[in-house]
Amino acid sequence: MGADRAQEPTVTRVMVVDDHPMWRESVARDLGARGYEVVGTAADAPGAVRIAAAVNPDVVVMDLQLGSTSGVDATRDIVAAAPDTRVLVLSASAEADDVLDAVKSGASGYLVKSASLDELDDAVRRTADGDAVFSAGLAGLLLGEYRRLQDAPNDAPTLTERETEVLRMVSRGLSARQIATRLSLSHRTVENHVQNTLRKLQLHNRVELTRYAIEHGITDDSG
Amino acid sequence: MLRSRKSPRSTVLIVAKAADPTPSPAAPDFLLPLWRAVVVFRLFAWVVATGSFAREWDSYPDHVIPIVLLALMAGWTVVVTLAYGTDAGRRSRMAGYDLIVTVGFIAANGLTQPWADLHAGAPVLTSLWATGPIFALAVERGRDGGFTGAAVIGAALITVRQRLGDQEIFNTTLFFVAGVTLGYAATTTRRATTRLREALAAEGAIAERERLSRSIHDGVLQVLAIVRRRGSEIGGAAAELSALAAHQEVALRSLMTSGPTTAGGRVDLFATLRLRASSRVEIVTPAGTLLLEREMVEEIDAAVGEALTNVAAHAGDGAQAWVTVEDRGQHVVVSVRDDGVGIAERRLDDAQRTGHLGVAQSIRGRIIDLGGTVELQTSPGAGTEWELTVPKSRP
Repeated sequence: MGADRAQEPTVTRVMVVDDHPMWRESVARDLGARGYEVVGTAADAPGAVRIAAAVNPDVVVMDLQLGSTSGVDATRDIVAAAPDTRVLVLSASAEADDVLDAVKSGASGYLVKSASLDELDDAVRRTADGDAVFSAGLAGLLLGEYRRLQDAPNDAPTLTERETEVLRMVSRGLSARQIATRLSLSHRTVENHVQNTLRKLQLHNRVELTRYAIEHGITDDSG
Repeated sequence: MLRSRKSPRSTVLIVAKAADPTPSPAAPDFLLPLWRAVVVFRLFAWVVATGSFAREWDSYPDHVIPIVLLALMAGWTVVVTLAYGTDAGRRSRMAGYDLIVTVGFIAANGLTQPWADLHAGAPVLTSLWATGPIFALAVERGRDGGFTGAAVIGAALITVRQRLGDQEIFNTTLFFVAGVTLGYAATTTRRATTRLREALAAEGAIAERERLSRSIHDGVLQVLAIVRRRGSEIGGAAAELSALAAHQEVALRSLMTSGPTTAGGRVDLFATLRLRASSRVEIVTPAGTLLLEREMVEEIDAAVGEALTNVAAHAGDGAQAWVTVEDRGQHVVVSVRDDGVGIAERRLDDAQRTGHLGVAQSIRGRIIDLGGTVELQTSPGAGTEWELTVPKSRP
């Protein structure tokens, strides 16, 4: 991954969304100090969508509780408008359901706010590189979600045995490298398995939304 | 150094507040329609009794006593209607008094007809009206109430008739069937009402916790997170402050998420385990709740606590631990993993020989008592991993 970054000619452009000014400035300053270009900040969902459309960032660092507005909505709208923009959720662990909704709506990773600056730096870099940032916490949420979908009646997505195994190891705090060693797989294969578990859910979510829209006669030209 | 649990005084206050039993919100009493049915039946039965008397006018040797009795029955019907119509009346022993008074009315049939005629099948004035207490008792006391009512009223009618013919057996059987069935229905309904009340109370508690957690999240936690980050950058004495802030931040965050939810004597395993989060211990659970028997949750939590204590003692400085809970349908699987120094196989053997495996045995004992299994994986440099598999319902 380090090598990938070295080849990249341009600086990663980041936007920070959080309703708490002190936290927002702190994260923006920290990321700036680590060599990222902070191209914008926003305090609520409509502002985030508007500014993201204007500055077109590579990575949006998104809080989920934005006063009375929701980071989940902002994530969905930003990803729909600019699929190349990646959203990294940085939230309090208190919002398990919100985090699930956000990754289903297209966020490509999730980090708790208690993460260290090194962890945040690493997560933003990997998000920019196109990797899914999978904390143990997110893996645990996804495992629970797939378990719940098992009982759902319609064509819900399921995991392969290998995917379940990999996701379970991530949820127990193992890194992709450690998992690769344990399962005698390449690091890339492990990453792919992990990303698949997320993509299946995102795809399922889009199908469900489309089905809902058709059933309720909602047509959306822009979507 | 790794501590499995720390709840400083300042945050304990918040827990106490969040866990306060909220005043039980108004839940509809599903028994009310049953009580209304009992009352309406009684009024209807009195009309039937009066109608039968008018129809059988000629078979009564005297008309004054029956008319007085019917009037008294009407009066008693009004009394029980008023009683069963209020909360206080429904909660008192009114149904029991109703039974005694009604048996008195059944006995008074002897004043309306010669006993020999009653034995021979002359009309009984109280007829259907006399079955009222069976239903009142069934609704008030459940199955046993219905059974008792049916037995007493059946015996009273058989005594008045002074015989045990097909008709008496048939009637009494009907009393039992109706009384016991209605009793069961009332018990089920009463349980449903209790459940609903608990669910509403839990919902209120969760809403309150969310309200608190939002305000804490927007203020205290953000500041703690900033102190932690800035402090570690500045270094020196500020780094110590940073470590303290980090610890409190995680503790407060996990307190906000948990405050174990209970319902019907069952406790949320996820929320209970989340209380064990610290800056060195990450708790990973699915979204939502997993309600299990209280005892089971306590045992699993205690086993996890022992495993974490073991991590703190043996995994080495800077070791991180993950507690991961997975709901696999029939079973719940809890893993406690650390990235510490691990245990060399020889040392594990040594420990076993010298009896130093107390922790392992204690954990194993707790889990096996729950009908579960324990697996321990360890190797030097690769940390240790406990996997506890517990069936959700007892074998």
